[in-house]
Amino acid sequence: MLDLFARNRVVTLVLILTLAYAAIGAAAPGYLSGATLSTVLSSSLVLMLISLGTMVVILTRNIDVSSGSVLGLSAAVLGLLLNAGVGLPLAIVLCLLTGALAGAFNGLMVAYLGIPSIVATLGTLGLYRGIMLVMTGGRWIEDLPQDLKALSTNLGFGFSALTVVVVLLIVTLWLFLRKTRFGRFFYAVGDNKAAAHHLGVPVRRVQFAAFVAAGTCAALAGIVFAAQIGFIPNQAGNGIELKAIAVNVLGGVSLLGGTGSVAGVVAAVIFITSIDSALVFLKIPAYWNDFIAGALLLSVLLLDGRIRQLIERRIRARRYAIHDRAPVPDATSSTTRIAEASR
Amino acid sequence: MVKEQAAGRVALLEDIWKSYGAVPVLKGVSLALEAGEVHALLGGNGAGKSSLMKIMSGVIPANSGRIEINGRALTHASPALAQDLGLYLVPQEAHILPNQTVLENICLGLRPSPRSLRPRVETLVAELAVAVDLDAQAASLEIAERQIVEILRGLVRDARVLILDEPTSALTPFETSALFERVRKLQGQGVGIFFISHKLREIREICSTISVLRDGVIVLSGPLDEYTDAEIVEAMSRVQLAADGGTAKAGRKVAQIGQPRLTVRGLSGEGFADIDLDVRAGEILGLAGVVGAGRTEFAETLFGLRKQSAGSVHLEGKELKSRSPRSCIDHGLVYLPEDRQQNGLFLEAPLYWNVSSYLIHRLPFFLRSGTERRIFDGFRDSMGIKCTGAGQSARGLSGGNQQKVLMAKCLSAGPKVLILDEPTRGVDVAARNDIYALIRTLAGKGVAIVLISSDFDEIEQLADRVQVMAFGRDGGQLSDAISVDAIARLAFGASEPNHA
Repeated sequence: MLDLFARNRVVTLVLILTLAYAAIGAAAPGYLSGATLSTVLSSSLVLMLISLGTMVVILTRNIDVSSGSVLGLSAAVLGLLLNAGVGLPLAIVLCLLTGALAGAFNGLMVAYLGIPSIVATLGTLGLYRGIMLVMTGGRWIEDLPQDLKALSTNLGFGFSALTVVVVLLIVTLWLFLRKTRFGRFFYAVGDNKAAAHHLGVPVRRVQFAAFVAAGTCAALAGIVFAAQIGFIPNQAGNGIELKAIAVNVLGGVSLLGGTGSVAGVVAAVIFITSIDSALVFLKIPAYWNDFIAGALLLSVLLLDGRIRQLIERRIRARRYAIHDRAPVPDATSSTTRIAEASR
Repeated sequence: MVKEQAAGRVALLEDIWKSYGAVPVLKGVSLALEAGEVHALLGGNGAGKSSLMKIMSGVIPANSGRIEINGRALTHASPALAQDLGLYLVPQEAHILPNQTVLENICLGLRPSPRSLRPRVETLVAELAVAVDLDAQAASLEIAERQIVEILRGLVRDARVLILDEPTSALTPFETSALFERVRKLQGQGVGIFFISHKLREIREICSTISVLRDGVIVLSGPLDEYTDAEIVEAMSRVQLAADGGTAKAGRKVAQIGQPRLTVRGLSGEGFADIDLDVRAGEILGLAGVVGAGRTEFAETLFGLRKQSAGSVHLEGKELKSRSPRSCIDHGLVYLPEDRQQNGLFLEAPLYWNVSSYLIHRLPFFLRSGTERRIFDGFRDSMGIKCTGAGQSARGLSGGNQQKVLMAKCLSAGPKVLILDEPTRGVDVAARNDIYALIRTLAGKGVAIVLISSDFDEIEQLADRVQVMAFGRDGGQLSDAISVDAIARLAFGASEPNHA
């Protein structure tokens, strides 16, 4: 039972989430409704996209703190193009391209020029925001065309066209990371770079690809942002990169690279977004949001850490308990020994 | 197709040059490997062996020269290309992805999925007669098991050229002989093998050809039976070494062994139980046993790194109750860990930081690098550490020199009792002899030494008395007739019925 929690952060999260929903549902009847689900789902989309992009980078043992600025920059590109009369499909393609290019520049610096990712993306965090401000002249982009905003309208069951796209992306990313050879490389590079190189994994290409993916995801988040809000402020996406990193940690993605799952990140995003919506529903003043979110994040991590320690201690004890028995010295015995210990 | 290749040459290196900055490490090396040949490659610290192997396997590029594998050129430095051409390097320090399973570790980089390769890997595991659980997390593997994973990687890739870089340094004798059997089988299938080792006995057992590398040049090459051990060692180190390591011990013995220093009674902990041990000043106690016998766990418990469950430890008659590494060092009980890279060295830090790190609690609040550098320079001269200066980072040193730096670190703490855990693992013959001489000198100065080693030759050469651990228990003592055979009998004693 404990092992299940330790192995699988998703289980822990889903359990806490269920308990929390039950508690809130009891305290404020009417919270548990289709409308809430719909709100949570649609307001989680931006954070979801940024978090998934960040996850791919963290898997390779790098970090991307520029994604908030990439969001802003690509949203600005989208808005300016649309307001200049460019058609929506072309504007979206160019917007995604902007994000991919921004990610590629990050990737170039980290994978091929050897600049530590935290330094490189801190630099571009400022740089990309700066380019956005220069492009917009520091003004907000308003009066976005109706067909962009239409992307976020409810098609039924709380699903908009954008939600469908995000769900498809989640499924694709999950399949890619779990089921493909190249997907496995992302874990390998983050787990042990030297070993991956030694085994013929194209380490630099993988790192580069991770940043491009993160940039593209951030651009997609920019589109969602613009469609949902209907205008693009200067500070669009500001600070969301740190929230995305917190979500990753909460979702069981190790900042040291090599571990983490799409399911964990998705669960963590839903969790964080639910807190926000629940607070609104419980009529707790909005200025409590950050405090409560931070406290909850820490308690989940603390609980998780304790469980992990407990399990590790137990595995160790079991392993050595077998040593302590009367000698069983043939070659096969140590196989069973290891097998038993890891069970 | 296999038969055609079996007759020919599987690897060819022509005039390989390589330098790091202004320092040349390879000066025109040429080597050829025939199908079915096991080619021993020897060389001292910094001879260029590992650079040559890395170039051959595509990990680093050469400055000039030509490499051909299976008749096709290695056009650029890429491990993937080298593996495609049929070459695999089994490195000395295994490359492990700790968060993946053993099976995933073995199959990473191969086209078929791990699941479809599973039967093949299982067959290889059975043929090698090794103990590995394919579904275990790689993080839980011991050093020896990690080495086995690397060897399996090479085998599952169907390599035509295998480079084995000290493959036996972490294996038990059983695993070693199973590996050699496998090597012979591969030889029969026409696989060419470069075999790097410092153990001449092993090389004699398995190799047919030998090449010796010194200062980036091949100084000796040809069929192995044309050379004597002495010639090989001389070629490698340019200095004639004493053939018999035992004489120095004989001369030193008896007179200098003094008061009891360390007394352990009934110590139990993780992986071992009820161990008694005594060492006296000036005595070298060999703590022998096979990998997994619980010696490292015992030493780590002694040094306060692990919790003890029962027993007592006295140092010069005073009981050390709740031990921590800090209190042990302060009392003069110093431990040199087994795994240099992971537990011993600060790889990025300058050498003098490494050497003064056991002293750090005794240094003034404001550190003066002059003092630390002087301490380091003293050790460098007396131990013959080869480096560019006290400020060099430890990562750049060869295995033997890293080990000397670690020894210097232990000595700087002024130990009364020194526990050495596999002090010569992965260290070449010349540096090994330096370390042996150093251990003897220390004992001569009255330090009590506990020498943990899986190399029974080493124990035979150095130890005044031998205690054997087997399966976490006391396996017996030897004080007079210390021989490899006697030690092995005790170390494997309990297992004989199963192998008879």
